[in-house]
Amino acid sequence: MNQALTPAHAAEYLYREAHLLDRQRFDEWVDLYTSDAVYWIPAWKSEHQPTENPETELSLVYCASRNALVDRVWRLSSNLSVASMPLARTAHAVSNVIVEQAGDDTMDLRSSWTSHVYNPKYKSQHVYFGSYEHRLQRVDEGWKIARKKITLMNDFIPTVLDLYMV
Amino acid sequence: MSKKDIASLVDDRPEDGVFRLHRSVFSDPEIFEMEMKYIFERNWVFLGLDSQVPHPHDYMTTTVGRHPVVVMRDGEGNLNAFINSCPHKGARLCHLAQGNRKIHVCQYHSWSFDSAGRIRGLKFKDDGQYSPAFDNDSHDLAALPRFEVYRGFMFGALSADVLPLSEYLGEARTFIDIAVDTSPQGLELVPGVVGFTFEGNWKLQLENCSDQYHFTSTHPSYLKVLDRRAEKGWEGTVRANVRGRGGRKAMQFPADGLEHIAGGSTSFEHGHNLNWNRRTVNDSHPLFERAEELKERFGEARRDWMFNTRNLTLFPNVQVAENASSQLRIIRPISVDRTEMLTYCIAPVGESAAARAQRIRQYEDFFNPSGLATPDDTINYEDCQDGHLNPVSPWLQGHARGMMLAGPDGDPFIDRLGVKALSSVIGGVELGDETIFHTYYRSWRALLQAGQRADEAAARSQPAPASARLVETVR
Ligand code: FES
Ligand SMILES: [Fe+2]
Repeated sequence: MNQALTPAHAAEYLYREAHLLDRQRFDEWVDLYTSDAVYWIPAWKSEHQPTENPETELSLVYCASRNALVDRVWRLSSNLSVASMPLARTAHAVSNVIVEQAGDDTMDLRSSWTSHVYNPKYKSQHVYFGSYEHRLQRVDEGWKIARKKITLMNDFIPTVLDLYMV
Repeated sequence: MSKKDIASLVDDRPEDGVFRLHRSVFSDPEIFEMEMKYIFERNWVFLGLDSQVPHPHDYMTTTVGRHPVVVMRDGEGNLNAFINSCPHKGARLCHLAQGNRKIHVCQYHSWSFDSAGRIRGLKFKDDGQYSPAFDNDSHDLAALPRFEVYRGFMFGALSADVLPLSEYLGEARTFIDIAVDTSPQGLELVPGVVGFTFEGNWKLQLENCSDQYHFTSTHPSYLKVLDRRAEKGWEGTVRANVRGRGGRKAMQFPADGLEHIAGGSTSFEHGHNLNWNRRTVNDSHPLFERAEELKERFGEARRDWMFNTRNLTLFPNVQVAENASSQLRIIRPISVDRTEMLTYCIAPVGESAAARAQRIRQYEDFFNPSGLATPDDTINYEDCQDGHLNPVSPWLQGHARGMMLAGPDGDPFIDRLGVKALSSVIGGVELGDETIFHTYYRSWRALLQAGQRADEAAARSQPAPASARLVETVR
């Protein structure tokens, strides 16, 4: 796919990312990211305002490299984290994809998402939802994610939130 | 009124080397009701930091026990705390977590109040045909019977019959001082609050903060991540202020006869305690840039304490956890098996931009329900709660480690601060003292029993209500 992305292809890219998370194919998921990718879930500082500057304000997750994501993905399947044993089952739905900017080498997208999360241990479930901002970047093999910002609208968290749940 | 025998739930026999808790302490809804009434609603409760309301007319909302509370700074800069409920018909007055208002107008019938809680407008009062008796009641907001601030830590109580705050905090104040003194301007909350719930009793959180024994068992994934990063030279990842598996035992302290001591735990009166680990003064700590300055101001011993890992609990609802980063936690019990947590990154005012960013990264790495460590703690609380109703093995065995060491004068490190502890334990990395929990449950027991006694006395001094008398007769 080493060509300019059409909006339809870009949307499909997001669906495929969500699909890899739902199938728990975490190694393939993390390979979607550039080595210096920024993955960011801001916290909220008031009822109306998420945090804006990760250097001076708190985030739920702020990873500034693929290495940092690899660590987290390693933990999920390490059998050393009781919060990840058993892993929850998830189903993401990504919609309302808008192309904000399309260049030869980058593309910025906005979308809405929901993620249904089912915890098999306690047979409990929860729906996280919010919006994504993706920056896709052209690389030799095609397109990768250089930046992903996840705004989590319902940020009062039932016990655990991990990368594959949002 | 409850006749529950509280003493029978805490098997506390130091002379026999026994301290056991009955599981119903965590799972009996009747006990939970008593805790709300006799601990959270008759005792000091942490409200927030005064730096959350820095300017005139700032306010912040919180709860005390089951009740909504608002802390306001008035036009002169004085702080007050009020029940966040309109005296007219009870509508909530302030709706946001924080804000700034000179005048608060109630949404329901427009009574208005200034930031000192005084009634400023009672809509259409003159045409209202009130009887003269109406003005026998104050129309101001109801102030909390007690409200005090210690070094920026604000506390309130729904009962006037509590100790002075300084006496309540007692010797534990030194560890508030140590946290606050890391900056000449004190502490602030980094913008951004993270809230979460867990399906477990609030005391599971209270204990876990003081529980050294769990660390290597609950957090092996985190420790392994640290080792992986160290192997890879930390490239693109967070450099942690705690050690992975390899580094933990290898830490070198000055050969002063105490180099084998890795840390300990210290208990104070009224349910407060601290557990701590020795750390060297090193540049993985955001405070390193001030290491020399702090030594000059406070002396080496106190400066070194600022670098130690310190988990401070001020009973019943606030913890200052300074380990992988620095966290302020507020515990809000919702029901016997559900708890809400509000968590903040707490930081010295005026630290450099690089130190602040490092602190925030270390915080997100370890804490947060989305971090690499906290979720493994909270899942454990839920798994504990699940078993706490079982009638087959009602007595827990989790409060006994360290019994052979605990005593009032066991800790030369605490002595360096001039602190008088109720009881201290020190030892190597594998000690995992559990006597630190005893002060929680001794205070807990004392408060519940005092509440029972007070209610019994009140009942004796009043004739029983008619309905109760009727029930007696029918029986
Ligand atoms: S309830 Fe506030 S004015 Fe009526
Ligand atoms: Fe822990």
